[in-house]
Amino acid sequence: MFRLAAQRAIAYRLAGSSRAGLRVSSLHTRCWTTTWRSSSPLPSFSRISRRGYAEAANKFSRAKPHMNVGTIGHVDHGKTTLTAAITKVLADRGAAKFTDYSQIDKAPEEKARGITINSAHVEYESENRHYAHVDCPGHADYVKNMITGAAQMDGGIIVVAATDGQMPQTREHLLLARQVGIKKLVVFINKVDMISDPEMLELVEMEMRDLLSTYNFDGENTPIVAGSALAALEGRDDEVGKNKILDLVKACDEWLDVPARDLDKPYLMPVEDVFSIPGRGTVATGRAERGVINKGDEVEVIGLGNSYKTTVTGIEMFHKELDRGEAGDNMGCLLRGIKREQLKRGQIIAAPGSIKAVRKFVAQLYILTKDEGGRYTPFMAHYRPQLFIRTADITTSLNFPDGTPDADERMVMPGDNVEMVCALHTDVAAEAGSRFTLREGNKTIGTGIVTKILEYA
Amino acid sequence: MVLPSVFYRQKISLSPACFRGRAYYSTMQKSPIRLVQELRKLTDVPISKAREALAASNNDVEAARRWLEKDLAISGAQKAAKVEGRTTREGLVSVCVLSNGNQQRAAGTSNELGGVRAAMIELNCETDFVGRNELFARLAADIAHTAAFITEHDSSSPRFIRPCSLDVLGDAPLLSRSEPRVQMPATVSGSIRDLIAKVGEKVSLKRAVTVVHGPFRGESNVLGLRLASYLHGATTSGFQGRIGSLAILGLKTPRLPELMSTETFVRDLEKLERAIGRQIAGFDTRSVRSTPGDETSLYNQPFMMLGGEGANETVRSALDKWSRQRGVVEDDAEGGIEVLEFAKWTVGQDIE
Repeated sequence: MFRLAAQRAIAYRLAGSSRAGLRVSSLHTRCWTTTWRSSSPLPSFSRISRRGYAEAANKFSRAKPHMNVGTIGHVDHGKTTLTAAITKVLADRGAAKFTDYSQIDKAPEEKARGITINSAHVEYESENRHYAHVDCPGHADYVKNMITGAAQMDGGIIVVAATDGQMPQTREHLLLARQVGIKKLVVFINKVDMISDPEMLELVEMEMRDLLSTYNFDGENTPIVAGSALAALEGRDDEVGKNKILDLVKACDEWLDVPARDLDKPYLMPVEDVFSIPGRGTVATGRAERGVINKGDEVEVIGLGNSYKTTVTGIEMFHKELDRGEAGDNMGCLLRGIKREQLKRGQIIAAPGSIKAVRKFVAQLYILTKDEGGRYTPFMAHYRPQLFIRTADITTSLNFPDGTPDADERMVMPGDNVEMVCALHTDVAAEAGSRFTLREGNKTIGTGIVTKILEYA
Repeated sequence: MVLPSVFYRQKISLSPACFRGRAYYSTMQKSPIRLVQELRKLTDVPISKAREALAASNNDVEAARRWLEKDLAISGAQKAAKVEGRTTREGLVSVCVLSNGNQQRAAGTSNELGGVRAAMIELNCETDFVGRNELFARLAADIAHTAAFITEHDSSSPRFIRPCSLDVLGDAPLLSRSEPRVQMPATVSGSIRDLIAKVGEKVSLKRAVTVVHGPFRGESNVLGLRLASYLHGATTSGFQGRIGSLAILGLKTPRLPELMSTETFVRDLEKLERAIGRQIAGFDTRSVRSTPGDETSLYNQPFMMLGGEGANETVRSALDKWSRQRGVVEDDAEGGIEVLEFAKWTVGQDIE
């Protein structure tokens, strides 16, 4: 939950920062702590304050690595029952708070980055991980989640009933998992207490392995657990109920990969502001997005048509000198031999070779509806909004990918999820997975995620 | 269940998880898994149903298929009754245009203009997973095709776009769009029931409209009917989407036969029609014309979907200009191109 909230909050900040950032630059504010930074001290707080403060007794421990999982499956195959059963079984061990069926099934509408998303989420802990569990009603909701980063799924649990086996739409479930970037899945065959012939279970399993392989998942080795979520929820037949839920959680622990933590990734800090300190040199300030930097490290400044290597000769935070800075820190980097004119807001400072400046990429976009504050009217190819990525703000043109039939007659309407090619006016640091927003005038009209780089600067 | 010994269980790859599943059921009987799988590949029915069918037909796949066809009517109805109370917000709008008013080239009567014949339907389901599935998309396309095909011209109605009775359409035999000559075994409502049995979600036909009108004889030299349509958010093929528009246009010109036999003119006209279809779907369009300044009426909207200089003009003036440029009308003469009626649907929207 915590990271979910944190991610949301970061998303808010991202969306906010572009706006606030504009304000800052237009006023030529020259203070170390920009307005928006001081108003939101820690990402998580802004979210918590919306929901009432967390109960003091339940302190979140960061000891276990965190992971987001989602359940996908047919409406009648027991996704919600399974989610409730997991919390029940783990609550018995004190590793979750039992969340009732009715509480999960509501799928409340939430707003992330100003976009309405239908999703239900619960949290629980296994022996060595902390899980946030997401459940959305439809394909479009999951895709929106993925694009906005509101609830990224690192892994998925496919639920399929033993009575029915895979359904025609199971294909769509797997395609979705692929589209939102899930690499590994765990299969839960539900309702085994409702079939008389265990051989059928084997068939369900066989068909699932086939199908998984068809859609480029590892069908051979994907763990398949068969049990009854209802039995677990009702506390009967531990053999198919509780024990199988524990097996499932164990399979998730063993099979699904925890995403790399921000601290373990290569260093990256977007440049928010630049100062020249007489007698010392040029300092770039910003909030480190990921990784760790040490005094004396070599770094690369990337983007806006001017990329070069230099060395960090000093790190400063709260007007105090440090030897080391890390993800989440608001810091200033003193750079060796760099003139003030060589650094601009919108560039980034990163570990050498970890990220490149790009000019053209394919992105998955979500175009905001009128109710979400977006456009009222459709647009066609060659549309040119502003693209905000980290602290940069660049004009881009949007076109359909090569080979799209009738590309000059296609239109994109508010509310659409669409894949388009962004051709940037000036280059900027980006990689697959980078998120950005699209704005026109004073409106956020869309948000997107880079899926494939086509052209480097 | 004792089964003939020829049906040995097919060997499958055994992963650790596989073993876990097996260990739990230690005593197993031989069962024609391979046949169940084969039958499921052919019919997409749930496992339990496939087994029942094989058991009832002595493990003969062909006989089981026939058994299923009969059974689907009953079990599909049961399933349909079970899911009856659920809401269906997702789905597809499908448009089928059988004749858009072009010349009929086939019959040797080269100067004869064809009539218009088209239909638009909305088929709903519960989740967009099913809405994106090929079976669902194909059924939607077939129902639209059927509606367009079976409707008779009704001269008593003053309107071109008329609602199609869902009861009549439901009882009509389903006509396949991709293979029109193939005799489909079921009615429209029967096919919907079959799909419910396969996908396990409520599927319902929400609404259907048709446009059927013959060419104007006698005065046909001056007035032609045309169709414009657009489907937005098409997933599997171009025949369906989440938003659909269908419009009927009138083309009034003394040079009608001459123009309609010119290839470039027809191509231009069709391009304009597609732009009108997009314009209706993309903008908040509620009427063809109304008081000036009301942007919910088509003629007052900037014609952004035409591309080029169209964005600076209203649809009305763009149509006039288009007509003059293509020689449809002389400067002050009556005529030109006119949008007569349209229908625009969004999936899941309430019927007004």
